[in-house]
Order: sequence, then C-alpha cells, then structure tokens
Amino acid sequence: MTEPAETPPLSAGKLAATVAALLAGTLVVGGLCSLVGLAELTAQVWLSRALRLLAAAAVGAGLAAAGAALQGLLRNPLAEPYILGVSSGAGVGVLLGLALTGTIAMPLWASTPVLAFAGALATCSAVYAIAQRRGRLDPYSLILSGVIVNAFNGAIMLTIYLYVDRYRIAEFAYWAMGQLPDSTNLLLLVVCGGCVVAGWLALLAQASAFNVLGLGDDVAASSGVSVHRLRLVTFAAVGLMTAAAVALAGPIGFLGLIVPHICRMVLGPDHRVAVIASGFVGAAGLMAAETLCRTIGPWVGAGRVPVGILTALIGGPFFIYLLRRRFREVPA
Amino acid sequence: MTDRPHVLDADAVVFAYRPGEPVLRGVSLRGQAGRLTCLLGPNGSGKTTLLKCLLGQLTPTSGEVLLDGVPVGGRSPRELARLVAYVPQFPTSAFSFTVQQIVLTGRFAHTGALSLAGPKDLAVAREAMRMTETLAFARRTLAELSGGESQRVMIARALAQQPSVVLLDEPTSHLDIKNQLRIYRMMERLADDWRMAVVCVSHDVNLAGRFADDLVVMRDGRVVAAGPPAEVIRADVLREAYDVEIDLIPAPPDDVPLVRAR
Repeated sequence: MTEPAETPPLSAGKLAATVAALLAGTLVVGGLCSLVGLAELTAQVWLSRALRLLAAAAVGAGLAAAGAALQGLLRNPLAEPYILGVSSGAGVGVLLGLALTGTIAMPLWASTPVLAFAGALATCSAVYAIAQRRGRLDPYSLILSGVIVNAFNGAIMLTIYLYVDRYRIAEFAYWAMGQLPDSTNLLLLVVCGGCVVAGWLALLAQASAFNVLGLGDDVAASSGVSVHRLRLVTFAAVGLMTAAAVALAGPIGFLGLIVPHICRMVLGPDHRVAVIASGFVGAAGLMAAETLCRTIGPWVGAGRVPVGILTALIGGPFFIYLLRRRFREVPA
Repeated sequence: MTDRPHVLDADAVVFAYRPGEPVLRGVSLRGQAGRLTCLLGPNGSGKTTLLKCLLGQLTPTSGEVLLDGVPVGGRSPRELARLVAYVPQFPTSAFSFTVQQIVLTGRFAHTGALSLAGPKDLAVAREAMRMTETLAFARRTLAELSGGESQRVMIARALAQQPSVVLLDEPTSHLDIKNQLRIYRMMERLADDWRMAVVCVSHDVNLAGRFADDLVVMRDGRVVAAGPPAEVIRADVLREAYDVEIDLIPAPPDDVPLVRAR
C-alpha cells in the first residue's frame, strides 16, 4: 500500500488524555476567574466566588453536554435544551417552587430540583409527542414544537406571577433572566452538581450509539442499538441536567448550541469526544462568561449583568448562522 | 459455532400496520448460507415491510421469522446484530464521519460501552473495506463520495458486523449500470465465497435474474412465485406480478431470458 489510508481510531488512552487536558484547562480557567473581580480579594470573598463559579461550571457542563447529546440523538444541529423548551419546563417547576416557599414543608434544595425535573420531563414528553410520527422525528417539527411549548410554558410562568406577592415579582424577574445568585446554597449546589455528573456519565455511555444513529434509525437498530431505549435514557438524562442547571441559575439559553458546535469543529464529529469535551468547555465558558458579566456590570451602568443575557446575545445570531448554513446544505 | 449452514426462515408471515389492513398476507421465504435471494415485486407489494420483519424490527401479526431455528424477536438487538446486517437504500450520514469511522460503527454490537475499537475490530473493518474496495478512501467523508462508492461503504459497514445474513433494501436503485453490476457481483461473492445468506430487495428483474440463486416475486403482500430464476422469469408470472405485458428475449445458452415490458 502506498499511503496509510486509515487513521488510528479513538483509543482509551487518547480519550483519557483528552479528558485530562480538558480538566486541566477548565481548572485553570476556574482558578483565574476566581481571582478576577471588583471586591478586594479576602478569603471570604474568594470562597463565595469559588462557590458561584462551581455553580456556573455545573450549569455550563450540564447544558453543553445535554446539547451535544440532543444534537446527536435528534441528528439536528439546532437541538438544545433551551430551544426545545426543556429549560422553560424546568423553569415552570422552579417558579412553582419559589411561589410555594413557605407553603410547603420541603427545603429549597430539595423542592427546587425535584419540581424542575418534573417540569423538564413533562416538557420532554410533550415535545416528543408533538414532533414524532410513528416513532420518527422530523427535525423541523421538533424545533416548532419547542417554540410552541416554550410559549405555553411562558404563559404558565406569567400565570404564576399573577398569584405571587407583587413585591416578590422583581426576585422572579431576575431569576428569569438567567443568573447565578450572589450567595450559593451549598446543599442545592451539591444536589444539582450530582445530577449533572450523573446525567453526563449516562450520556457518555450512550455516545457511541449516537454515532451509529447518525446513519439512520434502521441502520442503528440493525447494528444493535435499542433506538427507543436510547431516546428514553437520553431524554431522562437531558431532563435531569437541564433541571439542575435551571434550579441553580434560571434559564440560560444557547450555551448548549454554541459549545458543542465549537467542540465538533475542533475535535471532529465523534460523539464520545463531543459529549465529554462539551461538558468541560461549557463549564469553562460559563465560568468565564459569569466573571465577565460581574466585572463589566458597573461599566455598562447595570450593577450586575445576568449571564443569561450574554449567552442569548451571542447565541441568537449563532442560531441564525446555523439555520442559514443548514438551508444552504440542503439541495433545492 | 455449528457446521450447519445458517438459515433465515420466514414462515407464513402476516403483518398489518393498522388492524384489518394487512401489508403482508402470509409470506414464506428462505435465505440460506451461500445463496443470493432476490425479492422482486411492484412498489407497495410489501418487500420493504418483509425486510423489516426479517430484521426483527417489525413483529409479525402472525407467523414467524426464525434464524437458525430461533425467532429473531427473541434475541437481544446486540445478539441479532452479530448475526444479521442491513444495507439501506440511501446511504446517509448526519455527521461528517470518515469512511473508516462509518465502517467501524459496524462493530457496535461486538464492542463495550464506549465502542472503542481494538486490533481485532480494526482488522475486521479493514478486511470489509478491502472486499468492497473502499480502503482507498477510508479517510474521506460520505459527502465526498459518489453514489456507488457510498453504497459500497454501507456494505463494508454491514460486513464489519461479521453477520451470517445480509439484507439489502434496493441497494442499486440510484446507481448507474456499471455500479449496479459491481454491487450485484459483490453480493454474489458474499454468497459464494463468504458463505453468507444474502437477501436483496430488487427492482431490476434482469440483474436479479442473472445473479440470484433464488427469486421471490411478491404482489399485494403475497408470494406470486418463488424458485430458481429459470423457473420464475416467465411471462405469465411477471405479468401477474407487475400488471404489464412482458416479452422475453432469449439470452445466451444457459442464461435466463431478458425481460422487456411491452
């Protein structure tokens, strides 16, 4: 043979090296971010900042890895927890939890994630039920059902607003912008962080099946993939991770869209790499974005800028770019 | 492994997507190791539905599909994938995987949770690419290949499953005559040299008649005729199946006649 036609495939060693490099990079970004800020760097300031950055890392990892998995499962580059309405479903749950504070006996760290998870799963089922026909999923129906369910969930949230004490509406509105609270509830962070890690591992275990699924449902099924089970496990994991992210920081959009695309562009289309890399890059990215938002706040005269605004400002145009590119790829 | 050749047996398969509207009305078919079986019939005659029943993706309403005596529905998806492989009509890849990566996905049922390919998986994939003559473009993506090349990649992918039965759904429907011939020669070799049971849904009566060991002609969910090409390629059989008048043009001695619709 004249030229080496094949490339060495993904090996355990290469995967481990990738994880190590990404973990190191994420830790460096987190460490640097914890040193940047307006307040004087005392031990107490550093600790509260570190907790907030940990929360940002959990949210970023959860949303980005969930986005990478959804894009693989649905063979749709536009899929993402926020666009498909999963985030808004979790949001309804969280708002309900906030509104009921004092009414129900459960503490915040338990009630919020549970209600968020219930809302996320209900929305997943609704979107799936609307978009599927005889077990097939049409990519555009899926985006449209996401839009519809988002609008519906928005209406439910506004209805909840009607019934809460009007002095608390500001608190709710800030939450709806997608921002990490000044003081992180440690138990909530542990519970949500655990959910993100569990979901991430579950998605990684499905990643090689996403690769096969890219060749079509029939090919995947005849290769040994249980397509139905794959959908259930993925939606459950995505619901869990999104619920955790929304419980911690409110609805933060487009991170699950941007990060997986960057990872695929740099590291190739293999989902085993994309799911891992998206989690780390999402964590690092949201820590950096959160630090940027906290730092530039006073300069733009807003005190503090919710990080959800920044991701949406970047993500909106990025979505349009992807949509246009996709239309160009499809032959007329 | 037993020495007994592998057999795929469909016995009086009835299937309905909606109750009371059967698409298959009692179809029997046998795919044997070392034989190429071609399924013929007009559009809507139930060929693809039958293929899905053979693959275990649809469960017959009545009747059964047995692989070496065991119902295909009774095996786990991974177990079944090590025995039966499938080649789709239109090769597609939603992500820009290389040919080698695509062929390696055929190892899914043979590998662990992360599907990391070991030396054996690489060797099997290489052998499959060599057989289908796709090794030369192992680094390219499907989008960079022609229709015939893509279809050969999908066949290589199926072979990487190391199956004893290969099912193909109209693999040549969108190819030029040179590539059609190439795919049929490849299927013939899989049956003759690789001793697989090859079952192919086909629209080309002449190619099927020329290469197949057995033909099964379907219409309206029933088998109209089955047997060696010399017995099945007859004007009355094809008229009944396709609803057109047929001329048979004599071919060289020992060959089945050519079919021309009038």
